[in-house]
Amino acid sequence: MISCLKLEQPGKWRVAGLAVGFLIAFTPALVLVFAAEGSRSPDIGSLLGGAFGTRIPRSLAVAFAAALLSTVVGLPAGVVAGLYDFPARRLLLGLLALPLLVPSFIMAIGLSLARTALGLPADGLLSGFNGTAAAFALFGVPMVLFITLASVRGISRRQVDAARLAGGERHLFACVARSVFPAAALTGAVAGVLTLSDPGPGQILGFSGAASEILASFAAQYDFALAARQCLLLAGVVFVFALPVALLLAPRLAIGLLARDATPAPLVRTQSTSLLGPVLLGALLVLTVTVPLAGFIQPLFRNFPAERAAQEIGRTLGHTLTYGVTAGLLATLLGVALALCAGRSSKLRIGLLAGLVLVMALPPSLGALGWIHLAAVSPSSLDPALRSPFTVSLALALRFFPVVTLFAMRGLGTTSPSWAGVAAIHGVSLSVFARKILAARLVPPVITSALLVVLLATADVSSVLLLHPPGKSSLPLAIFTVMSNAPESLVGAMCLAYVGGAGLLLVVAWVASIWLRRKS
Amino acid sequence: MTALLQVQNLGKSFDDQALFESVTFEVRAGRHLALLGSSGCGKSTLLRLLAGLDAPQQGRIWMNGRMVSVPDRVLVPPHERKLAMLFQDLALWPNLTALENVLLGLASVREPKPALRERATAALDACRVARFSTRLPGTLSIGQQQRLALARAIAVRPALLLLDEPFTGLDLALKSELIAELAGLASALGTTLVLVTHDPFEVTRLCTDALVIEDGRCAESGELATLLAAPRSRTLQAFAAATRQNSKT
Repeated sequence: MISCLKLEQPGKWRVAGLAVGFLIAFTPALVLVFAAEGSRSPDIGSLLGGAFGTRIPRSLAVAFAAALLSTVVGLPAGVVAGLYDFPARRLLLGLLALPLLVPSFIMAIGLSLARTALGLPADGLLSGFNGTAAAFALFGVPMVLFITLASVRGISRRQVDAARLAGGERHLFACVARSVFPAAALTGAVAGVLTLSDPGPGQILGFSGAASEILASFAAQYDFALAARQCLLLAGVVFVFALPVALLLAPRLAIGLLARDATPAPLVRTQSTSLLGPVLLGALLVLTVTVPLAGFIQPLFRNFPAERAAQEIGRTLGHTLTYGVTAGLLATLLGVALALCAGRSSKLRIGLLAGLVLVMALPPSLGALGWIHLAAVSPSSLDPALRSPFTVSLALALRFFPVVTLFAMRGLGTTSPSWAGVAAIHGVSLSVFARKILAARLVPPVITSALLVVLLATADVSSVLLLHPPGKSSLPLAIFTVMSNAPESLVGAMCLAYVGGAGLLLVVAWVASIWLRRKS
Repeated sequence: MTALLQVQNLGKSFDDQALFESVTFEVRAGRHLALLGSSGCGKSTLLRLLAGLDAPQQGRIWMNGRMVSVPDRVLVPPHERKLAMLFQDLALWPNLTALENVLLGLASVREPKPALRERATAALDACRVARFSTRLPGTLSIGQQQRLALARAIAVRPALLLLDEPFTGLDLALKSELIAELAGLASALGTTLVLVTHDPFEVTRLCTDALVIEDGRCAESGELATLLAAPRSRTLQAFAAATRQNSKT
């Protein structure tokens, strides 16, 4: 009988498990490093001196602007939502989560269409550098908002009461904002780092960054070696910026993910925040969701190509769901395994979290190009694994498994170490303990996170564009492919359908999490 | 007569810093031992070593004459030591009902299901929580949860019951009631108790012997009444003073 104590005791298997997990996650990138070593493409020095080198500072400037905007807007909104109750709070927060689940380029299309509808100049506010930074802030602001909200809810009721007694609501707001600022700023920095490897919004809003250049090298010039070198150079830049963020963020996350005994302060309803809350979150909703949505809807008043849109959706829906669901399953296996390996050890948790931030920050094209190279040098008998829809799902799973790991770590953190101790004393086997006790705590967060991975995976374009087998495109990729040639109304209808589908899946994930929590 | 529990030169360290070392004592069946010492001196760790949840770094442990732990190895796993343990947080499995908690606690008992059910119900009954058998632990009061944890522990009819500050946070009336019930159950089942506590009230009401850990070593041990009559350690001197104060008031 395997003892339940294994779950709580240190062991070499934990480090070995984490090493294997990260080796799997970084395999495509490592393959690409070796592939680039042996290629004849331009070296790093000439890449830095050429056009690609000039794109990197431009991308960094957009990243900085998006990070700053996200933090400045998301932090106060998160503090207000975390401290106060106000009308429609839950609804507004739910709707504000939508930009996190929709591909950034779809929101950028919305902004672009809105710009046209508003008659703004093509080189004005919603285009080029400004437009791209704004498009990235559409998901950066909710990211900062929700992390700030979670951090505020982690502050104990007693601390909130003490600050309130000391100086009233203004003092409380200032104290709480100061307390959660590091988490919010680091999340803003993560959002900024993520923009470095995303070509979508720049392509649509007329801003040429480093990620767009890689896409052009591979998809337009068909130069794998050049794309690989550029990708590695960009990954190196991302790594330099992401590593300190990861190292700073990981210890805070590790503490935040462990269960706390502190009771969060109840949400307070005051006269001013009853007005301020809905206005602030409502304004954010207008800027992050309504403006892009209005951009999709406006062309549909002139012409609604329902049949053509339905055709495109029907052609791609099956593949989209296949990629998403398989990626969700694979990410769940890897994510839960890594969370179990880290267990309650603070060192392992910090190491794991730092690694997860790096996995999320690295360019998705890095992994995709690695898989392509692996498929090219492998025997054809491996094609079912390396040139199939499964490859797409695997690449997506290796990109998004950190979401499952975070939720699973949180779920494990809510268990008491003495549960396994009592089980061991009473002779409860590990399998029975896992089935009867642990599952009740792990299943709800894991299912919720798996659904989130499904959503994120269906929203991906970079990996699917580079890896999908012929004729097996996903819906976002179909939109990305037709957007420059198809009529605005068709693009708008397809984008609207995607956002509607994502909203529906979000509601399903939310309802499922509530149902599972109640059931357990 | 062989001691129920024998501990020789036991030592445990964390991060190369010794928590305690060279701790030697024995507990005879029917005697109840109080493990005393300041916070962080290693009392709960010592209980975990006795339970077999952790292995010692030095020393050996015997139970009923059988060697159960040696340095860095647990020879006999916890569930084969005929013991039970009450944790400070009670460690009730929150998603199982009271009856299911006790039934799962009988996992190592090889009996037909109806017999196990009967045994679990009898334990709940003995601890006066049978009427809550279908309730989840979270819906019970703290006193009822203590009784449920005790029911799960005694259902296996342990020879040794390890108690890690199980009465912390209870009001005096409830604590007094639970201690009286525990003493009665231990006597009826022939169970020996090892109690970790900071409360002189619990010690004097429940224990016959005491062991004091101070500065990482066993400061004194023996019969409680004798020790309290001429306390040498800081802990027992404070205990004796508190006991005298209580009896005056």
